[in-house]
Amino acid sequence: MAHVTFIHGIANKPEPAALLRIWRQALANAADPLPLGDLGVTSEMVYWADLMYEKPDNDISSHEGVLENTPEAVDAGGGALPPQARNAEEAAFLEGLRRQLTSMSDAEIAAETASMPLMPQGALERVPLPWFLKKPIMNAFLRDVHHYLFDVEFAPPGRPPVRIQRTIRERFVKALQSPQVTRPHIVVSHSMGTVIAYDCLKRLADCPVVDGLITLGSPLGLDEVQDKLQPEWSRADGFPHERVSGGWVNLFDRLDPVCGFDPVFANDYRKDGKAVVEDVALQNDGAWRHSITKYLRQPAVCLALKKMLGV
Amino acid sequence: MCDQRPDEVVRERAKKSLSALGGMCRDEDVGEAKALVEGLRNQRDYELMGCLAEAVSRQDPDDARNRRLYAQYLIDTGKVTAAIDVLQVLKRRLAKDHPEFGEATGLLGRAYKQIFLDAGDKSTAGARQALKMAIEAYRGPYQQNGSTWHGVNLVALLTRARSLGMRMAPGLDPAAIAGQVVATLQATPEAQRDEWFLSTLAEASLGLRDWDVIDRNIEQYVAAGDVKAFQIASTLRQFTQVWDLENRDERGRALVDMLRARLLRLQGGVEISLAPAELQRVQARATPYEGRLEAILGTYGAQTYQWWKTGIERARSVASIRHKVEGGRTGTGFLVRAKDLGLEPADELLVLTNFHVVNEFGASQGLRLEDAEVVFEAADPGTAYPIKQIVWSSPDDRCDASLLRLENPVVGIAPLPLAAALPVLEEGTCVYVIGHPGGRDLAFSFQDNELLDHEGPPVGQPQIPGVCRLHYRAPTEGGSSGSPVFNSRLWQVIALHHKGGKLGMPKLNGKTGSYAANEGISIQSIVAAIKG
Repeated sequence: MAHVTFIHGIANKPEPAALLRIWRQALANAADPLPLGDLGVTSEMVYWADLMYEKPDNDISSHEGVLENTPEAVDAGGGALPPQARNAEEAAFLEGLRRQLTSMSDAEIAAETASMPLMPQGALERVPLPWFLKKPIMNAFLRDVHHYLFDVEFAPPGRPPVRIQRTIRERFVKALQSPQVTRPHIVVSHSMGTVIAYDCLKRLADCPVVDGLITLGSPLGLDEVQDKLQPEWSRADGFPHERVSGGWVNLFDRLDPVCGFDPVFANDYRKDGKAVVEDVALQNDGAWRHSITKYLRQPAVCLALKKMLGV
Repeated sequence: MCDQRPDEVVRERAKKSLSALGGMCRDEDVGEAKALVEGLRNQRDYELMGCLAEAVSRQDPDDARNRRLYAQYLIDTGKVTAAIDVLQVLKRRLAKDHPEFGEATGLLGRAYKQIFLDAGDKSTAGARQALKMAIEAYRGPYQQNGSTWHGVNLVALLTRARSLGMRMAPGLDPAAIAGQVVATLQATPEAQRDEWFLSTLAEASLGLRDWDVIDRNIEQYVAAGDVKAFQIASTLRQFTQVWDLENRDERGRALVDMLRARLLRLQGGVEISLAPAELQRVQARATPYEGRLEAILGTYGAQTYQWWKTGIERARSVASIRHKVEGGRTGTGFLVRAKDLGLEPADELLVLTNFHVVNEFGASQGLRLEDAEVVFEAADPGTAYPIKQIVWSSPDDRCDASLLRLENPVVGIAPLPLAAALPVLEEGTCVYVIGHPGGRDLAFSFQDNELLDHEGPPVGQPQIPGVCRLHYRAPTEGGSSGSPVFNSRLWQVIALHHKGGKLGMPKLNGKTGSYAANEGISIQSIVAAIKG
């Protein structure tokens, strides 16, 4: 037996059971299928979208990632508003993070959105989608990362606010302590979920040990994010060896905007000064390369997970 | 996992309703019965649907909708000419603007279409007349109100008529009608699109003869997360029976195979029986499009197609166990490699079946080994293998298994891969059974194939030491005994099918009560028993 703990990324998601099913189905539908259930591998999803969004997205098919035909299919659902900086440090953080996605000002974006959504993209534009989709993606990315790393007190309308980082950390630790867990136990994280997984595995003393880590389309290479993970993180001792007993495989698409311009981790997350993270570049299809289901269907992702699970 | 499935709930309510209608019933009883008739139709429970519709008609003979549903029951149970009588009377008494008029006319078209499709020789006067009547029936409502489902059927039948050289309705151009149907569908606001939107669009695309559009629309249809089994089944019927796509070209065959595979992947899909000749045809089919499959079918469609082909390949390794003299199929067995069971010589191929199918002394109503023979009907139907020896067996109150060594070595058929673990028990986990239910042709049992429970890790507790059982709902019957039970994605054997029970199977793991379930023995517990 073996167990996988998944943790999702930015933007609104379907309800937890549906989201877990979508992730598992994507693995099972891969070119080299990895049907966890058939193999007797149990799995669980660390779900945190409910802390950021009013209600789950019921349009399940949009999240299956086969077609890019709705905002939700490209992580542009949920209507997140851009975060407001509370001080100069947060302002600098948000500005730096924003620069990773675009060099355009808010006014230029507004003009572009209003004029022609399908206008050809500028040289620095790394997301080949119209701005009416890119804008909500950017808002979700900035808000979710900011609220977590600065432990903002927040709640969607109608609910009492909670400390975002503290609450998500509790959920992550609880999932890793689940009685369902058997060994080997692997964490698979996507996008912002990798920031959370890394934060817990590197920085939380009460977080259980896992046997391996697989990260997909993750923003851990961004300086702004790394700065917020100090002092536990350093380039020479960035590997979360405290609570990851096995390997770490990081998979990315160079055109995935969430990875920024530094999708490679081996140099930034060393173990005893040595580069041990296995970075794997792959190529997702379509306009939106950040889609989790596209990552999960990649043979390289299935292969990495199979090796760690020993199946 | 709940004990009573939604379709069982509808059935029970329908039976109660039926008995209420037989007595001093109230208006509410009739109202509820009408809703249940439709519910039974949706789950294709036609016999009970017919009984209830009949009872409703006795209480409320003027209800046009119920009469139309009654006619649908008649069509779906093969009483097509009776359906035509019912529908013609109904049509005559309805005003043309009555909402049921178009529905009844369309159903009349379907009845005539069925007569045409059932005709072995499509060139007979009767078949031609049926096709003509079907075209006329669909034509009226389509021309009157542009109904897309009448339109798409009109396109299909006109195309078929043209391909058979029949000059019917010469003034109608199927491609032009297809174009209109597609345009109407695409202009339908998203909020107003019904559950048939994608399937109608996919089928109408066929009439456009533009393969890029056809591929795109069918891919969208097949990939849709909320597509239902009955919709795919209906499209599959249209594509094979009306459009005759399988006999058109490789591209058409690939589309049909993909739909078939999609159907099988959906819970509640129909059971598919394939005659040995049909299986061989599918297996032998070279797929020139295989390399381009992904381009044609999209990532999802290509994977589904591969999955289906793997299932067909696995069927080659499934054999019928037959009585040597009488010839009837009494059970099923499948080819395994000795090494996978811890036996030597490692590469020897053996056949695993139930003890109660074959054993040394004919105990438990099984055949004695000298009376039985093994035939791999999908791979080599002309060769019957006598049994040389029972290598190992376990009685029917334990593993219920017999491992057979054949007189002659099996060549050219691959042994089935064995799963290392039982699937995780979670909602929606399916199993597949390939065997000879009822002693009939090889059948893939895909209908209602939920894995209900098992005694394996992490929480299962075997009641009989060393015997790990599992329960599933796949509808198997006599003759399926000894069939391999497969996991849902990898087509690995997880169990040896052991017995079926429509009702009254005691639950596993100390749970109280019973349910309708089939029982298999985990393949790994058989391997462990063989290894001792």
